[in-house]
Amino acid sequence: MKNLKILVVDDDPVIRRLLQQRLTKENYHVLVAADGYKAEAILQQKPVDVVLTDLMMPGKIGGIEVLEIAKQINSTIEVILITAHSSVDTAVDAMKKGATDYLEKPINFDELFLRLDKIANIQTIYRSAQELQHAMDITEHAASETIQALEMKAAELQGLLDELENILLDDQYPEDVRINTALDKITGLHDD
Amino acid sequence: MLKISPNELKLISQYIYDISGIYLDASKAYLFETRLSSIAEGLGCSSYQDLYNKAKRDLKKNIERQIVDAITTNETLFFRDKGPFELLQHKLLPEIIDKRTSSSSALKTSIKVWSAAASTGQELYSIAIVIKELLSDLSRYNFHLLGTDISDTAIAQASYGKYNKFEIDRGLPTKQLQRYFTLFGDSWKVKDEIRAMVNFKKLNLMHPFTALGKFDIIFCRNVAIYFTLQDRKRLFNKITDSLADDGYLIIGSTESLTGVCPRLVPKKHLKSIFYQKKI
Repeated sequence: MKNLKILVVDDDPVIRRLLQQRLTKENYHVLVAADGYKAEAILQQKPVDVVLTDLMMPGKIGGIEVLEIAKQINSTIEVILITAHSSVDTAVDAMKKGATDYLEKPINFDELFLRLDKIANIQTIYRSAQELQHAMDITEHAASETIQALEMKAAELQGLLDELENILLDDQYPEDVRINTALDKITGLHDD
Repeated sequence: MLKISPNELKLISQYIYDISGIYLDASKAYLFETRLSSIAEGLGCSSYQDLYNKAKRDLKKNIERQIVDAITTNETLFFRDKGPFELLQHKLLPEIIDKRTSSSSALKTSIKVWSAAASTGQELYSIAIVIKELLSDLSRYNFHLLGTDISDTAIAQASYGKYNKFEIDRGLPTKQLQRYFTLFGDSWKVKDEIRAMVNFKKLNLMHPFTALGKFDIIFCRNVAIYFTLQDRKRLFNKITDSLADDGYLIIGSTESLTGVCPRLVPKKHLKSIFYQKKI
């Protein structure tokens, strides 16, 4: 099984089945939805890496809306739009809204697989970066606890040193009193 | 990848120090090679000596800028470590607002915050978001939020306030993303209400910065680690001069000022440390 979960959204049962078969044959994990509403329900329940959606679908949720819903749920989901009459305007509009790419009907499967391969590569790199980041966060967190504890301790000891210096240099008291007061300070610290 | 010779290492290491204050250990040749080889090759240089000569002759300092960009790690994220931002929200801002709000209500409360190594701006925008969420009515306040960085490219990106999904995905909660950013193609752009709260400008922390005035809160996180101890001492001494007498300094969570700046004392609140001037 390849590393991508793909959601196919198309109201045309023939295209839907064709996409499902070809993608499954390529070892992708495939989910299907017959319209935008079903797509929304799936996106809300299951983690998906790529959405492959028809641009024109009946109902209020078309391809652009599916794109928007997917991006709202997780901005790292890649969305490829399938368009019948490739008007540049709709494509540019879709890209502005975060679409990764668009494909024209009839679908050229070699082209589709190439794009999916690229997405899979990027996602693998992205995941390992996230794992590294996570490992770094753990190390950094542990280090910061140690460093901050030392920082507070050093400041406390510096404060004590300053106090001792003041006591020992305070010549309104005789030397033995100063030394005793200083010693009391130090032993008092240990009593805590 | 273009190889660097021991002599070039010394030369380039000194050059980088001179232009940025960043001290890169000359024993780490790979660091220089991975970061500078593509610049050298892009300019058709046959060696790093050649790159150095070209950079020195470039009066517009374009090559110098490229080198600074390549050397400074712009690794940064929104709300990097939750700690400092929780500290800001629950302690520092309420305290400083209390102290700065005058009894005569006619005057606006003026508060200055500085992100001293702003990189591409995530830290300062995070600060702005915290302020926005803490105070419902900003019209009673005069917030000056300044971000500075040595890299022109980083400052340009910070000012533009646009981030790709990978930069956004790390650290920024969805709720705040949707409230303060607009989707712009495959990227997100900071909304004007937040953008208008901040200012960015270029600054080399090795140079004097008293002209910036005094700040109530300074963030100087994870930049001094690239400086020598001597330069770190100088930097935090200057930062202390730029801090209001009752102001707050926040440094990186793995940084320490022990033996660096005796004029500042650490204080702990919940899980975070901040520094104030020693009285």
